[in-house]
Amino acid sequence: MKKAVWSAVIAAAVVLLGSSSAFAQQTAGASIAVTAHVDAKAKLTLSLSSINWLDADPDVTPTFSSGPITVDVKARTSAGGAVTVTVLADGDLTSGTDTIAVNTLAWTASGTGFTATGNNSFTAAQTLGSWTNSGNHTGTQTLTLPNSWTYKTGTYTATLNYTLTAP
Amino acid sequence: MRGSRSARAARPAFPMRVIAPALFLLLVVAAGRVPAAQTSTATLNASINSVARLSLSSAALTFPDADPDTVPSIQASQGPITVTAKARTSPNGTITLTVRASDELRSGLNTIPASNITWVAAGAGFSNGTLSATTAQAVATWTGSGVRAGTQTFFFRNIWSYATGTYTLTITYTLSAA
Repeated sequence: MKKAVWSAVIAAAVVLLGSSSAFAQQTAGASIAVTAHVDAKAKLTLSLSSINWLDADPDVTPTFSSGPITVDVKARTSAGGAVTVTVLADGDLTSGTDTIAVNTLAWTASGTGFTATGNNSFTAAQTLGSWTNSGNHTGTQTLTLPNSWTYKTGTYTATLNYTLTAP
Repeated sequence: MRGSRSARAARPAFPMRVIAPALFLLLVVAAGRVPAAQTSTATLNASINSVARLSLSSAALTFPDADPDTVPSIQASQGPITVTAKARTSPNGTITLTVRASDELRSGLNTIPASNITWVAAGAGFSNGTLSATTAQAVATWTGSGVRAGTQTFFFRNIWSYATGTYTLTITYTLSAA
């Protein structure tokens, strides 16, 4: 009988010990290494790809105007990196052998970081806008050309090349 | 005379009239020493404690570079991560799985908030969420012991304003069984 009593006591103790540990909070952990690659890239978008000025009376229309051209600049660069948009003409406005100096093709611009006024060139790229760090920037550029009585008749063309640089 | 010898030879050494009383005596003696009835109880104790085990199908997540205009949300190259949680707890005990980022995404001195990583979850008890470097975020909760599995598909918010670099952090999962 004594043996049975001791067995019961021991069994109860085991149950109590077991139940106390059963309520202890258990945790398990695991981890994942995360890597995100962010590379340099640049994207430049103009709201139009051609400008066509029809003939006009210089007295009535002394200046041809393109109206606002939206310039959308998106760039990823290093921290503190310079982002620039430049414009370079491929030459003067030409019609056969006749020319109109491309530096008379001027612009006005609006928008943060955009150069407010400028003149085109085919010898040196002109800065249309400059910024620091990654981001996207939107502005407008309006091109103007004097409508002079001195121009020889013809259809004059030139191409303006825009370059966005984000090192 | 011959018949009398045959009868003596066939007689057993312990005749029944001797064995029967002897057996009866043995039974009586035995009955006096052994109780009439006995019960005995054997107690079986199975100790089942709280335990938690967590496994992930991948130890790494990689977000490749992409054009923010075409891929505004980059899915991790590994695809869905399978999360398996095994836990023993008290009846109706709560089991929780949380995740926390070690820090913001870092590339040298440049940082991207860890909150730009989100996940879409699938599986009973799992929920969608956004990573945080300051607060553990719930991935899943259940009630009672069991084995549960689900998936998390991670996405990285891809915007132009990030500085270039290779950004890293570590996310830590914690499975708790109360």
